[in-house]
Amino acid sequence: MSLPAPPRPGHGADPAPSAPVREGAEPSGPDLATTAVDAAVDAAPWWRGPALGVARWSAALGAAVVVYSAFLLARGADPVLALTAMWDSALGNPTGFGETLVRTAPLLLAALAVVVPARAGLFNIGGEGQVLLGAIGAGWMAFRLGDSLPGGFTIVLVALAGAAAGLAWAAVPALLRLLTGTSEAISSLLLNYVAGFLLTWLVFSPWKDPSSLGQAYSQRLDPNASLPVLWSRVHIGIIVALVAAGAVWFLLNRTTWGFRLSVVGGNSEAARRAGFRVSALAVVAMLVGGALAGLAGVVEVTGVEGRLRPDMMAGFGYIGFLASWLSRHHPLKAVAASFALAAIAVGGFGLKISTGLSGAAVNVLMALVLLAVLGFAQRKEAT
Amino acid sequence: MHISRTPIRAGLLALIAALALVAGACGDDNGGTAADAGADGDVTVGFIFVGPKDDFGYNQAAYEGSEAVAEAFPDIEVLQAENVPETAEAEAGMQNMIDQGADLIFATSFGHLEFAANMAEQNPDVVFVHQGGLKDDLELDNLGTFFGTVYEPVYTAGIAAGAASETGKVGYVYAFPIPQTLANINAFTLGAQSVNPEIETITVATGGWCDPAQQAQAAQSLIDEGVDVLTQHQDCTKTIVEAAEQAGIYSVGYHADASSLAPEGWLTGSEWDWADLYVDIVQTVIDGDFVGSAYNGDFRVGLQTGDNPFVQSTFGPAVSEETQALIDEARQSFIDGGSPFSGPVSDQGGVVVWAEGEQPTYDEVETMDFFVEGVVGSTN
Repeated sequence: MSLPAPPRPGHGADPAPSAPVREGAEPSGPDLATTAVDAAVDAAPWWRGPALGVARWSAALGAAVVVYSAFLLARGADPVLALTAMWDSALGNPTGFGETLVRTAPLLLAALAVVVPARAGLFNIGGEGQVLLGAIGAGWMAFRLGDSLPGGFTIVLVALAGAAAGLAWAAVPALLRLLTGTSEAISSLLLNYVAGFLLTWLVFSPWKDPSSLGQAYSQRLDPNASLPVLWSRVHIGIIVALVAAGAVWFLLNRTTWGFRLSVVGGNSEAARRAGFRVSALAVVAMLVGGALAGLAGVVEVTGVEGRLRPDMMAGFGYIGFLASWLSRHHPLKAVAASFALAAIAVGGFGLKISTGLSGAAVNVLMALVLLAVLGFAQRKEAT
Repeated sequence: MHISRTPIRAGLLALIAALALVAGACGDDNGGTAADAGADGDVTVGFIFVGPKDDFGYNQAAYEGSEAVAEAFPDIEVLQAENVPETAEAEAGMQNMIDQGADLIFATSFGHLEFAANMAEQNPDVVFVHQGGLKDDLELDNLGTFFGTVYEPVYTAGIAAGAASETGKVGYVYAFPIPQTLANINAFTLGAQSVNPEIETITVATGGWCDPAQQAQAAQSLIDEGVDVLTQHQDCTKTIVEAAEQAGIYSVGYHADASSLAPEGWLTGSEWDWADLYVDIVQTVIDGDFVGSAYNGDFRVGLQTGDNPFVQSTFGPAVSEETQALIDEARQSFIDGGSPFSGPVSDQGGVVVWAEGEQPTYDEVETMDFFVEGVVGSTN
């Protein structure tokens, strides 16, 4: 132990992995965060390793499914029928699978928007607002450009504008934290409401489509600002999101910046003593998160909605937050978590149709999965 | 708290395995229905609703219509999905129904039109009918719209309101200024003014079809303005009817009969009875007669055609025999070819829109973009 482990300053529940400092890693080794723990897992006997993991996960998720089935029964629905219908509509056929991919793209980006700040020990609960700002920024640029530029340039500028808008929205809680010590969790959360009002105002007033017969939505984005389609309704947003996940993984695990972020998140006092610019690192992590959330808004508005609507993307930021927690804030595992939550969300249609339950009933399943996984994590830690 | 790094892969595998197990165990009983479009006796009809199916309002009425379809055609499969938002999620929802073999989809909310039109373009084998919109110049063989002339019973309900009001102020809570809501507010105002020319209709837009918190605020602000009749163009109507009853003022319902919520103050209202129309649309599609039929266009029915699916609700105790006679008289005039908007009708600025002896066509009413004289509020 080359560094002491002083009591944690400030935040009690620290989401970031904190292995490297405790393991006595040298500040120059950027990828120890992963290898140290992986090595520990590899060294464990087989029954402590993957087999046990599978068993535990099966038990945890099986319990979630059982509790959910009880919930469905209590609501007068046949759980087997309901779960089958969810499976069929989300993964059981090509179009359903496509819908799940379409939904995965923004959710994964919104999850990454939580992952990066979490590495620095920050809670970005503002994804909900940052995705809306991303959509607004994208819309603004798309309306300004119209068809004046070739398609490729338009979509890149639109994406940059959306990312910048998301980044700017995240800068507010980041700077408030830096300057006044306000909790970024609270301020980013509250800004979600402001973002919602901003979007509502825009689509009811300045950006309202004059041909909408009074219905509140913006004009349609120019076709130049539409994401290319891979097949059916599946657009390249899923590729953008996967590339972003890879990039975030690389940044966090293979660069000095990512390593420093881990140190800040794991033990900011140690980071300070090591001479890191803790505040700057934290602010930048938050900004990167905001930009990623902004991209989530971009892919949804340019790939799916085609215009801005008052209730677009409702809940995406929060589901992304959930995905990040499910994946322990790991960018690659967030891919799987986002896909699973997207499948549950898309499966909601099948659930609605087969059982007559409100689509919101899938939120119960999402919550149960999260509880099961967190409960499982705590047991694991206790051993 | 120190977070461990257990591989989530294993967990997701387990989740997928668990779900696969469930899916496998009970067989794939939906698998056979897709791609059977049009075959007799194997028809699937889908309905999407923007709100909950038990909202004492628009969605409940549409849901009951879909139940009537299920009853009338025991052999067809009816798919219903409530709370389908007016975003691209509606497309995903309709896609889901198509995957389950839907041959005909009822998109029942005004804001679902764009998505129904998109899906109609992408799925030429599936018929889409939209409730309340206008397909305009979309030349698609598999898309149509339908609606009743909502403003006729709203006008006659306005007569009851005008007769009951003592303050001369009636309150109207509505969602957005779209032609449908404007036509209703105007018809209600003109009906009330037909018995009391001094009536003012004070309007509040909530910006949503069913937001009880907004509705409660809107109702309270109108009560504070001194209105003594409260009505609405909202999808869910419970909150406002209850607010009126609590404040001891009159209420006029919309979409569904809510008289049980306001035994004292209930005047009347207008409500949907979709059963016959839905059933006829389904029959037309089953018979293969949709293309070129009236339902393939912008189908509108009213008292003139004799089958308006939008009917007058029961009268409350405060509506006198005399008022009911006036209402019957007005209704008869619509049956005979008249309109609630028979001139003279002036807008808020006093400009005559339809002069004495003139009246708008159905199409003109459905593109209405102004408030009549006597309405307090803005169409922006």
